[in-house]
Amino acid sequence: MIASAQVRRVTPQQIAMYTLLIVAAFLFMFPFYWLLISAFKTQGQIFVNPPQWIPSPATGKNFSDIYQQTNLLRAFANSVVTSALSVFLSLFLCSLAGYAFAKYPEAPGHDKLYAFVLGTMLIPGAVTLIPTFLVLVNLHWIDTYWALIVPGVVGAFGIFWMRQYIAANVPDDLIAAARIDGCSEFGIYWRIVVPIVRPALAALGIMQLIGSWNNLMWAFIVLRTPSMFTLPVVIYLLNGEMRTPYGMLMAGGLLTTLPLVLAFLAFQKQFISGITAGAVKM
Amino acid sequence: MTTGPRAAEIWRYRHFYLFVSPFFLLFAVFGLYPLLFSAYLSFVKWDGLTQMQWVGLGNFRAMLDDEILWRSLMNTLVIGLLYVPPMLIMAFLFAQLLNSQWLKFKGFFRAALFLPCVTPMVVIAIVFGLIFSPEKGVLNYVLAALHVKAVPWLTSEDWSKISVAILVVWRWTGYNMVLMLAGLQGIPGDYYEAAEVDGATPFQRMWHITLPLMRPTFRFCGLLSLLGTIYMFDEVFVLTNGGPGTSSTNFGLYLFQLSFDNFKFGYASCVAYSVAIVVFVATLIINRFNRGEEGGAA
Repeated sequence: MIASAQVRRVTPQQIAMYTLLIVAAFLFMFPFYWLLISAFKTQGQIFVNPPQWIPSPATGKNFSDIYQQTNLLRAFANSVVTSALSVFLSLFLCSLAGYAFAKYPEAPGHDKLYAFVLGTMLIPGAVTLIPTFLVLVNLHWIDTYWALIVPGVVGAFGIFWMRQYIAANVPDDLIAAARIDGCSEFGIYWRIVVPIVRPALAALGIMQLIGSWNNLMWAFIVLRTPSMFTLPVVIYLLNGEMRTPYGMLMAGGLLTTLPLVLAFLAFQKQFISGITAGAVKM
Repeated sequence: MTTGPRAAEIWRYRHFYLFVSPFFLLFAVFGLYPLLFSAYLSFVKWDGLTQMQWVGLGNFRAMLDDEILWRSLMNTLVIGLLYVPPMLIMAFLFAQLLNSQWLKFKGFFRAALFLPCVTPMVVIAIVFGLIFSPEKGVLNYVLAALHVKAVPWLTSEDWSKISVAILVVWRWTGYNMVLMLAGLQGIPGDYYEAAEVDGATPFQRMWHITLPLMRPTFRFCGLLSLLGTIYMFDEVFVLTNGGPGTSSTNFGLYLFQLSFDNFKFGYASCVAYSVAIVVFVATLIINRFNRGEEGGAA
């Protein structure tokens, strides 16, 4: 046992497994590679047979075309503003409610209210789709940022996730001490709880960001004027055109995908801990 | 006067109510009210503009004769059966590999397999459209090099579901792998050590320890996939838009078309409610059934 641990022979079995993983990683990465190189090809190069595995010559024209022919910068700004507001509001409201559910267990009705919050997770979005749209019409929120941000801003999962983390990581003594020192209830949340729960906020934030940035259906339903469109809507509509400009589409797609990939790589650990939290609960 | 102490207690905890109130306020407007209004809409005929018309159970009767609805449910089932088993098997296999102690570059492999599920579907579905393209697509080019006849991925009623299934497997395998990895890491190492002392083969360890203990994870992943397939939207909307014909229209896409292409607000609500209730009951039964089995085995 000791000898084998020191020598570390690679067994044929291990080589087979490495091969399997490398092939899988290659296949899973391939569409990203195709997106990347197609963004630097002309329409003709994209559809040439045999396919060009590396664009030759590479062109940057797609990027200048999409910049000139669509309102891409504006769409990028719309996506950034709605996603950022959605993330910040969600983090604030979920952590505030999570703190309340974690640290005021004696409040009358606490348990029933919490059970109610968790129960709302069972409602499928498909059932509430039409009336939610009608509510937004009546609020005159169609074609505004609010229609994208507000309906999904504080969900049961976010509250559950923050409550678990706060209950496990914020000591009651610390809160009691702050209260004795005359700290207000909101001050306790803001100055004591928030700094401690930063990792949980990062996890929830990245989940909210991905959902918000990628949101196609809802944006498609509630946005009407081209100047309000977010990136997914612009990309989707460009795809529907008579003679689809694939090069431009790939350039725009690359610019839509890149920020998320970077955000994911930066917050990978937190994101994965967030999605597994739901499974552990079951 | 009897409410005095209770009111005082509530006042004492006013911050609690204040802090949780945004959720309840927003839920009332964007959750509870839509839920009730949608229930009401199930019994009317309405396009959102003209006068509502009470039709009683008419919408429910119409569902029985709605061929596209049944077709979309059937398509949902077929797409689910096409992709869920291979996806869960692959996810389990990859999770097993990533859980091995000798493996290097774990972070790279995990990120490579997981990245698909965070990317914008609209972009990726268009890339898949290019890859699947019948004459000029890279996939058929590779197949031709292997002497396989060109496959009409998106233009044939038989293949469109398979193409959707491939896209879904690509997108969600990594997600399930991460859930399975968490499940595997939750199995105490002592079990395997004890089994090894007893001389159990790797296959026996897998069959008698790993698989039984992974059952809740498999159930969770299976339920997520079930719900995901029924309500899936972006994938089909962009890749095939349900076509050719209605060959790849799943329930989520059909519901969207009923609601926002045909503006059948009453009928669409009825369909959404009916399917949601059936799915909910099915979920409860699956859960109860599995729990019972596990209780019996323990």
